Amino acid sequence: MEYQKFGFKSGLEIHQQLDTKKLFCNTSSFLRSDDPKYSVRRKLHAIAGETGEIDEAVKHEASLDREFIYQGYDSISLIELDEEPPLAINEEALEIGLHIALLLNCDILPVSQVMRKIVIDGSNTSGFQRTVLIARNGYVETKDGKVKIDTVVLEEDAARIISREKNKTVYRLDRLGIPLVEIATSPDIKTPEQFKEVALHIGDILRACKVKRGIGTIRQDVNLSIKGHPRIEIKGFQDVKMFVATINKEVERQIKNLNSKNLNSEVRKANPDGSTDFLRPMPGSARMYPETDLPLLFISKEQVDKARRNIPKLRSNIREELKKQGLNDEMIGLVLGEGKLEEFKSLIHLTKDANLVAKVIVLWPKDIAKKLNKDIEEIYKKLSLDIFERVIKESVKNNLSSSEIQDVLTKIVSGLKLEEAVKVEKKSLDEIEEFVSKLVKEKPGLSTGGYMGLIMAKFNGKVSGKEAGEILKKYVK
Amino acid sequence: MEIKSLKPGTNAKLHTKTGDFECVILESPNPEIILVKLNSGYNIGIRQEDILDVKIMKGKESKKEKNKPIKQNKNLKNIALVVTGGTISSKLDYKTGAVKWLTDPEELLEFYPELLEIANVKKITVPFMKASENMDYKDWKLIAESVGKLCNDSSIDGIIVTHGTDTLHYTASALSFALKNLNKPVVLTYSQRSSDRASSDARLNLMCSARAAISDAAEVMLVGHASINDDFCYALLGTKVRKMHTSRRDTFRPINAEPLAKITPEKFEAFTSYRVKNNEKTGVRANFSGKVALVKFYPGQDPEIIDYYLKKGYKGLVVEMTGLGHVSTGESSSNWIPYIKKAIKSGMTICAAPQTIYGRLHPLTYSVGRELEKTGIIYLKDMLSETAFVKLSWVLGDKIMSRDVKKNMLKNYAREYSDYIKVEDFLN
Repeated sequence: MEYQKFGFKSGLEIHQQLDTKKLFCNTSSFLRSDDPKYSVRRKLHAIAGETGEIDEAVKHEASLDREFIYQGYDSISLIELDEEPPLAINEEALEIGLHIALLLNCDILPVSQVMRKIVIDGSNTSGFQRTVLIARNGYVETKDGKVKIDTVVLEEDAARIISREKNKTVYRLDRLGIPLVEIATSPDIKTPEQFKEVALHIGDILRACKVKRGIGTIRQDVNLSIKGHPRIEIKGFQDVKMFVATINKEVERQIKNLNSKNLNSEVRKANPDGSTDFLRPMPGSARMYPETDLPLLFISKEQVDKARRNIPKLRSNIREELKKQGLNDEMIGLVLGEGKLEEFKSLIHLTKDANLVAKVIVLWPKDIAKKLNKDIEEIYKKLSLDIFERVIKESVKNNLSSSEIQDVLTKIVSGLKLEEAVKVEKKSLDEIEEFVSKLVKEKPGLSTGGYMGLIMAKFNGKVSGKEAGEILKKYVK
Repeated sequence: MEIKSLKPGTNAKLHTKTGDFECVILESPNPEIILVKLNSGYNIGIRQEDILDVKIMKGKESKKEKNKPIKQNKNLKNIALVVTGGTISSKLDYKTGAVKWLTDPEELLEFYPELLEIANVKKITVPFMKASENMDYKDWKLIAESVGKLCNDSSIDGIIVTHGTDTLHYTASALSFALKNLNKPVVLTYSQRSSDRASSDARLNLMCSARAAISDAAEVMLVGHASINDDFCYALLGTKVRKMHTSRRDTFRPINAEPLAKITPEKFEAFTSYRVKNNEKTGVRANFSGKVALVKFYPGQDPEIIDYYLKKGYKGLVVEMTGLGHVSTGESSSNWIPYIKKAIKSGMTICAAPQTIYGRLHPLTYSVGRELEKTGIIYLKDMLSETAFVKLSWVLGDKIMSRDVKKNMLKNYAREYSDYIKVEDFLN
């Protein structure tokens, strides 16, 4: 499709949950699947926003005059219940927000104000969502040029909907208040393909930071319009793969729509087949006013510097670094894939052989698990970082072969202490010496290479060539 | 362009060290920070020194609807509002971001129009606008006089007083004592969540207060959320109620008593007997004394605190005592008895109220109590210390009652004493 011809304008909005306590209260942010301990009945009423007018989106919601039931647990505080003012912003969430903003090349705002965004569909007990702008003016690089990042915002997630009847909606409070970072690009994305690229790139940045993983922890919304059509927001993409198909369908819908008279800015829901459905009118900026229970938010230079120092590395950068340290592609894949980067980093100083470290901590434990038909977690319970460190030290000191190290690891997994596992190997050196002395007596006059061939054949990998050579030297001059 | 001269509400384009901002200038709580609203609706601060250039822009005029007259429905009863301040009569000034008093009390009805479906608001009186922590005994008098006047206005069926929560239970006691021969419902109500929130508790509180105000209960009642659900309110006796939580919407609880009634926006359902609406003339007896203090006893407290009040010319003291009615005596290094004796001899009234909040004082159970009782302390049984403080101020401020303080303090004027305490009257 020739998008430029239609004056295609579009931007991306990503919401990602952070892996910390809640944003404005000190409760944990895990989701409950057990039965709620209590429920609270509430109502919300429409109120005029900042401009003295009731927002279109708010009117739409208020007209539904609903009762809201909130399910609570022992992990929920009075703050989520709208029964206590908020605490100061969670420091860890703010720092993660700064990491993300810095990775997106944004300017951090030194002074900001926590805002209340009016939401009266009941998903917030207070009738508003707390949200604060922390950074702006960033960018991400794509094949087709830079895409601007307009804003990075920290905000509270909403309560989870459990059921909806005619006049009654049931929400669960566990999700309410979980920190979200909201990243919004400028509407300068030119094609659906570029959309996908930007989404994947931002996804890469988010995964490098302390964010929650799994279904429902990230949500992508798309803003788009063609020339002559008001802005449409599409929410609820489950899969980046659906971007292209959904955007194509929406552009077609807007082209068809252009002739009708009542064009409205609205929020639509993405369906799995690429189509979209009307959700509600587009909320305006009339929905925002200050959170009067909190003072201004100051983000000091020291805080930004600290965030900069602790900024997590992107996967693409980490790969390059590992390559420089001498790790081959297969081992890089294993170390990153199994999440053993920290262990790798703490052991690499023990040897020049980076691949050996990777094999000890990832490849061989996996092999052992397979051989013993056990879960890898069970293997790692026996092979702690401390054990890895000592095994690598021993193998450097005694110049152990690959199969010897694997033997040592297997023995440790089967319950032997490290000292014993290694001692057995040492005893086998005595065995070798016994064999060598007998061999030289029985078959005198062979070449060094001839003796070596026989020794290596007999002990098949249980001894390194260097060790065999050294023992042989004692008997053959 | 002098930045400081930018008035709140001005549309401007600020050129700063970190980029340009198209924004509206807001009132800033910090003189070094220019607070602005961006087009996106977010507010941010910009340091004065970071601003390089300012351009004034033409802004949109925001629509402001004029106040419409309050609608009246002939089929509904008439009530009056006495507005005194507190969260319930404040609103957010969106232009400046500050919380301010309603400039026009009718605005309250714009926020909560549902009230008008239950009763007509015929009159609104504003004796003053204060945060309740700033009120004192002189304000109780002003409120009592406003209410008294409306009691004797035959066009009004009932009265709602809106008030801050912090000291609402003191005012509830004050009105309970000051209004004599009450002839119609006097309802005090509040909000813990501000009016800008769609979740504000004021909505249900006002609807239930209106229901109580048009009932036939000629009582001083505090009406508010019975629980954290938005389903019904309690009407609580003005002398047997206390703020028991810093922030919950059901903060007001009955103490040593049961609620007077359960109220939904549709129905007033009484739990106890009450004084019925009548045609008597309501009198106002509200010369409260300012020379009364409330002291909480704590372990090791220096009894010289009594001397301090004595020297300052105080006429009465309510001491929140431990347990059944004790302060430290003989075996302690700080013996209160000589100080109490001296103060009483000098003409000061000393009353005892329970610091346990719940339960009744029994000074004769332990020897310490018997010894204290001999000094002439007036033991106020199960009266709340805050109610006791207000009552002592009321008795001592009144020319006639102050002639026999003990008799009047022990007389049950406004159900401040319970005949007996029931099991369910605890932590309810």
